Amino acid sequence: MSSSQGRRGSLPGTSRDGEGLLSRVSSSISQSPIVYRGKVAASEAATVSKKLLWSTGRAAWIAGTTFLVLVVPLIIEMDREQQMNELEMQQASLLGTSSPSMAAPPLPSDRRSGQQGSSHLGFRHDSAS
Amino acid sequence: MGSSVSHAAASPPSIPPPPPHAVGLAGVLPPKSEEKSEKKVDWLNLPCPVPFEEIQREALMSLKPELFEGLRFDFTKGLNQKFSLSHSVFMGSMEVPSQSSDTIKVPTAHYEFGANFLDPKLMLVGRVLTDGRLNARVKCDLSDNLTLKINAQLTNEPHYSQGMFNFDYKGKDYRSQFQIGNNAFYGANYIQSVSPHLSLGSEVFWLGHQRKSGVGFAARYDTDKMVATGQVASTGIVALSYVQKVSEKVSLASDFMYNLMTRDVTSSFGYDYILRQCRLRGKIDSAGCVAAYLEERLNMGVNFILSAEINHPKKDYKFGFGMTVGE
Repeated sequence: MSSSQGRRGSLPGTSRDGEGLLSRVSSSISQSPIVYRGKVAASEAATVSKKLLWSTGRAAWIAGTTFLVLVVPLIIEMDREQQMNELEMQQASLLGTSSPSMAAPPLPSDRRSGQQGSSHLGFRHDSAS
Repeated sequence: MGSSVSHAAASPPSIPPPPPHAVGLAGVLPPKSEEKSEKKVDWLNLPCPVPFEEIQREALMSLKPELFEGLRFDFTKGLNQKFSLSHSVFMGSMEVPSQSSDTIKVPTAHYEFGANFLDPKLMLVGRVLTDGRLNARVKCDLSDNLTLKINAQLTNEPHYSQGMFNFDYKGKDYRSQFQIGNNAFYGANYIQSVSPHLSLGSEVFWLGHQRKSGVGFAARYDTDKMVATGQVASTGIVALSYVQKVSEKVSLASDFMYNLMTRDVTSSFGYDYILRQCRLRGKIDSAGCVAAYLEERLNMGVNFILSAEINHPKKDYKFGFGMTVGE
């Protein structure tokens, strides 16, 4: 409210109660309820958007690392398997006979758990015929 | 099984051959056969069920690989057809259970020497670690149906050693087991096949020193393509699991555990890919844990292991790698 008490007689067009025309107009604009609410809304919007950005970043990090751990090894291994299958089909067509698949000894995890129980839901390992 | 064979023998003479001048489709299609696609269930010859402690074996194999943090190296050398020695080195962090929510990791390293003797009737496994622990396992077939198993773990610290004797009896379509452990632990369980696919079991146990006892029931339904199990215990735990074999190389597993006392719910979902050169298991948890375990065959007898576990809420990351040499 100090701006409304301008110095008497200092500005042209000074009215009787000491307010300059310019300062009166500018103060009425800067202190109107609309501008005040606008400022509050802008700061809230900034806070919300900062939080949104932060949580989007966090979500992207979680999704990215989960994808990296769960899916990327799978893609790599399936690609290798496909390459080996293609190689074998090529070899089979080259030799003219269906070549037997490579003997694959069971992995140690299967053997260790095999000592505890007998069947593995019918999992069959490729074995040389 | 005998009844279905007699059915098949009876059906052919009853089918009339199609007339030689048949019109239209009747001459092209094969004559309708009367054999049933489903076999009659022989209620007196049900298969033997899996042992009670292995009721959730497929789900546990797929969903709970041995994740570790650090370096692991295993070397197994067979001296004989029956006897083998193993050396194993581990260097990494082990988690120490703490009261607060922070995980405390302590760097540890140990060397483990082991010896295995495998016979059709007798199996002896012993392991000694440099931090003073000794593990021993004995499995002995006393007769065709009776098996004795002994599990012992001795440690340097007093009052931490454990031992357990198990007597297993395998009947025609049932199994029963009696357990005696230290700390006056007595347990018994019994599982019975009630249909070619369904088996039901129950267990009781009694802890002498704490005067606690419990009863539990379990059911297992398995077909060629899937296994579903459920377990309820009087300690307030309900555990369900389901494993579906999607193809020869792939199987998916899911698991649900509910603790009635602490109102804790945990559910996890995982996949298990068994390819020719590798075995890859991945799982995601309702507690925000993501884990993967890869075993890759580099060479004949040489396997490369990678283990990863990310705990998003606690921001705990564990990565490990290792090699396994020897059969």
